[in-house]
Amino acid sequence: MTDKNQKLANQMLMHMISDFTNNELAPVDMLIDKQGDYPEGLFELAVQTGLLGITLPQQYGGAGFDYAATAQALQIMAAGNASLAVTLEGHFKTIEQFMKYGNPELNDHYLPLATHQILAFSQTEPSGGSNPTGITTRAVKQGDNWVITGDKIMITNGGLASVYCVLAKTEDDQLAVFVVDQDMPGFSFGKREDFIGLKGTPVAEIVMDHIVVPDYHLLGQVGQGLEIGDQAHADARVLMGAVLAGIMTHELQIAVDYAKERKALTTPLYQLQVTQQKIADIAIAKQNTELLYQQAAKLKVQGQPYAEIAAMAKSYGSRSAVKVGDETLQILGGYGYSRDYPIEHLIRDARAMELAEGSIEKMNLEITKAEINK
Amino acid sequence: MKIVVCIKQVPSTNDVKIDPQTHNLVRSADGVINPFDKNAIEAALKLRDQTNGEVILLSMGPESYRESLLEGLAMGADSAYLLSSRALGGADTLATGYPLSQAIQKIGDVELVLFGRQSVDADTGQVGPIVAEYLNVPQVTFAEAIDLTEDHHLIGKRRLDAAEQEVEVELPAAVTVRSEMNQPRYATPRQIQKSFEKPLTVWTEQDLDLDPERIGLAGSPTQVTQVYAPAAAKKRVTMLTGTPEHAVQELLQSL
Repeated sequence: MTDKNQKLANQMLMHMISDFTNNELAPVDMLIDKQGDYPEGLFELAVQTGLLGITLPQQYGGAGFDYAATAQALQIMAAGNASLAVTLEGHFKTIEQFMKYGNPELNDHYLPLATHQILAFSQTEPSGGSNPTGITTRAVKQGDNWVITGDKIMITNGGLASVYCVLAKTEDDQLAVFVVDQDMPGFSFGKREDFIGLKGTPVAEIVMDHIVVPDYHLLGQVGQGLEIGDQAHADARVLMGAVLAGIMTHELQIAVDYAKERKALTTPLYQLQVTQQKIADIAIAKQNTELLYQQAAKLKVQGQPYAEIAAMAKSYGSRSAVKVGDETLQILGGYGYSRDYPIEHLIRDARAMELAEGSIEKMNLEITKAEINK
Repeated sequence: MKIVVCIKQVPSTNDVKIDPQTHNLVRSADGVINPFDKNAIEAALKLRDQTNGEVILLSMGPESYRESLLEGLAMGADSAYLLSSRALGGADTLATGYPLSQAIQKIGDVELVLFGRQSVDADTGQVGPIVAEYLNVPQVTFAEAIDLTEDHHLIGKRRLDAAEQEVEVELPAAVTVRSEMNQPRYATPRQIQKSFEKPLTVWTEQDLDLDPERIGLAGSPTQVTQVYAPAAAKKRVTMLTGTPEHAVQELLQSL
């Protein structure tokens, strides 16, 4: 396709996502938060509309949009509701790992499913979070097969996804990633977390009891586990930056609408300098996050290093979305503190991303390390 | 079964502009498919799947209308035609219906022509019936349901302001579609990419051998002399306060 046509296709994608968000997602934003799950039929409609395949290459039945367009689509979606955008973020970052590290047999088996089934990446265990060196999930080689045993917790889309990439240690203590699916003997789901935000996105535990997988289920090579985990984090952080920019788009809209409508005595709030300062802060934070994730996505598409900028997008974006969410709540006064208004759940939604895919502190360590080593 | 769906691009916002010379709508590049036309596309796609047929989109307008045709192709239509040239510009409904009907004849073997019931910008609802007259085929307007019969007929259920009517017509026929007929599907991301691979042909008045006296502004008997927003009538509202009994007394007195 020519560059001009691809640009037009990207615009058409954004219009379509915008229509889907306005018609299907935004109207159930509060409902998703209150009932703690997607309403019946919403996820199925997202599948039917082809949203799972936005970034999946066309050879596997997807649309093959690049990561920059995909991230922009998630920002639009997250401005209506962040949960579905985070579900897709977890799915897309996993597809990226198949594309980078998967062997042809593995990809031919699993990637055509990714148009209608969620793929998930699972690293965290009960004993530790983002530090993969202490993991206890074991992979034992038996002939042409591997036997996987262990527990993984806090998996984004746990229970919703049917295919899981799991980080495990081999007998010689090397890290490797294996692909298991929910239909394999020995696979079971554990507890779904009762998190305070992103209530639509399921986060759950999986238990693997001597799951036998053929050798081609090894993603990449034995010893590449740490690299693949880091890569998955970097890819996730680009998209999380987009989701956070989407949440701030929503926060800004709420703040502006309310400031125009509400009066303090006879003066509309937006004419008061104290409100103007807050709205400017929200707009600046949203714009900065947008620039950071778009820069990270652009670098990724161009094949240049992007992990540091992606970490900045998530670190700055998550802290900002919580902070300016609080500013928005302050503009709304008592209404902001009410569960009848969405702002309190936007703060809870954004708060998840100060932790997920590496905490803010871990982001900042990685950013500092990159700066010191320049 | 070959089905043609005539679609129109309309402004994507309420901020429409009027040409001060012609008093016609200025066709903005930032447009969307007329919402009722999406219902017509959805109806055509469903019939195509039933009959193993073909859905062809047809529109008339500037080059920017290509985007709406691509969106229709991304919804699942098979091919598209755009009638576009300066000579066709400024057309009223009659000078629109004539080139569309000529294009349908040139496409050939069309058994069903679908339209949205009306466009949301001009709101006339005239183009569908005009095309049907030019083609000399029966028409079913304001249809909320259509079914094909085995003997090559179409049964349309019309919903009018105060009545429902079931009409059976022989194919080929033309139908204008109400929004109650269906819920249009979204263009999927994959189909958006694939839409650029589908045939999209641009025809001018020369391709259709059109009579120059019957196209564009010159071929339009409608002369728009003025476009204005009606003045909002000011309503008087009186709030009745006090107890319900007191309010009722006050209401009775004022009546």
